[in-house]
Amino acid sequence: MSDDGLLQQRWVRLGASAAVVLVVLGAVGSMMFGWDLERLLTVGFVNRSLQMATPITLAAIGGLYAEKSGVFNIGLEGFMIIGAISTAGVLFALGGTTPSQGDIWIAMVAAVLVSLVLTAIFAVLLIDYQADQIVAGLAVWFIGLGFAPFVASLVWGSRNSPGLASIDNVTVPGLSEIPWIGPVVFDQSPLVLLTLVLVIASWVFLYRTRYGYWVQAAGENPKALDTAGVNVTRVRYATVLFSGAMAGFGGAVLLAHAGNFVGTGDTMVNGRGWIAIVAYLFGNYNPLGAAAAAVLFGGLDMLQVQFQTAGIDVPSRLVNLFPYVIVIVVLSVWGKTRMPSAVGESYDQEE
Amino acid sequence: MSSVSDTDESKSRLERIAGYLLDATVLERIGIAVGATAFALLIGLVIVALAGYDPFRFATQLVVGAFGSERAIARTLRFSTLFVLAGLAVAVAFRAGVFNIGVQGQFVVGGIACVMSIIWTAPYLPTGTVGGVLLIGIGVVNAIVFGGLYGALPGALKAYAGANEIITTIMLNFIAIGVVGWLVNGPFRGEEATSVRTEQLPDYVAFPQVVFSDPNFSVVGFGIAVLSVIGVAFVLTRTRYGYDMVTSGYQATAARFSGVDSKQTIVATMTLSGMIAGLTGAVFAIMIQGSYTDPAGIGNYGFDGIAVSLLAANNPIGVVPAGILFGGLESAGSHIQIRSDVPVQLINGIIGLVVLFVAVPELFRMIGARMGLGGDDR
Repeated sequence: MSDDGLLQQRWVRLGASAAVVLVVLGAVGSMMFGWDLERLLTVGFVNRSLQMATPITLAAIGGLYAEKSGVFNIGLEGFMIIGAISTAGVLFALGGTTPSQGDIWIAMVAAVLVSLVLTAIFAVLLIDYQADQIVAGLAVWFIGLGFAPFVASLVWGSRNSPGLASIDNVTVPGLSEIPWIGPVVFDQSPLVLLTLVLVIASWVFLYRTRYGYWVQAAGENPKALDTAGVNVTRVRYATVLFSGAMAGFGGAVLLAHAGNFVGTGDTMVNGRGWIAIVAYLFGNYNPLGAAAAAVLFGGLDMLQVQFQTAGIDVPSRLVNLFPYVIVIVVLSVWGKTRMPSAVGESYDQEE
Repeated sequence: MSSVSDTDESKSRLERIAGYLLDATVLERIGIAVGATAFALLIGLVIVALAGYDPFRFATQLVVGAFGSERAIARTLRFSTLFVLAGLAVAVAFRAGVFNIGVQGQFVVGGIACVMSIIWTAPYLPTGTVGGVLLIGIGVVNAIVFGGLYGALPGALKAYAGANEIITTIMLNFIAIGVVGWLVNGPFRGEEATSVRTEQLPDYVAFPQVVFSDPNFSVVGFGIAVLSVIGVAFVLTRTRYGYDMVTSGYQATAARFSGVDSKQTIVATMTLSGMIAGLTGAVFAIMIQGSYTDPAGIGNYGFDGIAVSLLAANNPIGVVPAGILFGGLESAGSHIQIRSDVPVQLINGIIGLVVLFVAVPELFRMIGARMGLGGDDR
């Protein structure tokens, strides 16, 4: 009951702060720089923002499950890179540079499996061997940053893949003609819709099922959960595996939307795994809140395209930094989110 | 009387045991580091074999590329200089329990501050050796100041706003690279530059060539790295400030009770770490680049510094051998890139594996040490 009250309060604060950020941005822009707001807020922008938000959302949900259960999976960024390169590799193996839509789905499933296997190793090191969660998570990132371009170089002779294929939108004839709602809902990437389903499902699972309470208890009071006869280690294994799979899926979705792999610099994932962590902190470990935060970051990420089409002359290199700046602002204003109390501590299961 | 001498005796025995434990842990640490590196290299060789290349040839090239000739050794020392400095910057923060992942960003900010301050003041100073020394001084000081400020920012955000420094520093890396990338391609771009870079530093702004005749390496650079290590080791072990830093990292509660202002300590730690990262940027700019290019393509010294520091168990002295090891790997990478078909990115993957393996037994050691010593004290 008080939990729900707290939840609502959080929601109001989240919504309000997101709205304030957007309104301030819009007001400052239109007054100081004479932005044409109508040309900024287009259907295309909403669609691009949602597509950009999906990989972040998926990784964020995985990450929040792990952290809720007491394991800080800081390797999300690395698993996203692994998901993206695996999808690209399988896609290329299946159909060369002209894979079919079916190939994309197979490649994404394969990528999730690859991420799952690697996460299993990670989970053993983290849970059984009590590895330092922060250092091991950073290591996953470095491994992704090294091996993904390595694989790309082996397969394509370059850090980047050639154009492969991106996923087609699902279009419902007729309904997609409805102004605004039509093109956003009925002419949309199936991955956006799938993510929406996953967001709701993971919320229901976490807050409305017994297993969800186990996840929360594993992070808040592992001893009590243990006393109640539930194996804490097993719960944590499940959530860490889930987090790696979801981050890998996020990377796969990123690739399926982009249509080719980019391995230069910090690869095509380029910090989205880190932004995912901030998204779930901002969303206060709630899948719905995390998704809302991800949409905000996705929108900021896509502002650059809008600025170009609206003829606003801001260097794209600087506009691209918006999400990173906002992340810092959000963390500083919202920094003191309450972490589950047992995060980062390993738990010795009493047999 | 006798009871007093008893406690004295048991105390000294305790100290002996503690001293023995300390030696053991140093040996243990070295063991962990060697084991982690060997294991990571082994996996690297397996991957080379799986990818269809000759692992023995690859292993030979690793050694030859790192230490096989005078040129290779100079190249190894060039990378080692940067890795030792960057590793030192990371070690200072990690030792105090602050996860500064932002050394890369502080390195970039320091580097550009160094280059631009030299370019802007050069016209007002005499040319030649005197001017060169003065300009290097100005550049280095600016790099240290700006690197320190760029480190102080996430420190202050952590201390006073509770913002997780891991994430803010990673974001600040992206921001530094983006903004400096924009600057060198726009306002700071050299007038006669054909590629994306600032103006060249004047010829006389360079470290002297002694021992090695490598245009991108000077023993002076390596000397700066070693002196910095000695300086930091001194500060951490022999000064009140260093003591506060380390205790607030390892024994936060004890530090609080003894009156350490943990918030100030965090900011001070991040500032010191950023200052060393800035110095790294200055050495990189003066010794290697001679101008500043787009930081998106200059190498991840700040990230590799994390690996170096972890391999050294965050010990400032240990950073030297760890830095030389990584310098050797990186140098071998340049050699392999030219002499073999194996994609050089493999080296970065191996470095990632080293970090992963260091993460695991490191905790065992820490738990063991903490439980063993904690038990004896009581």
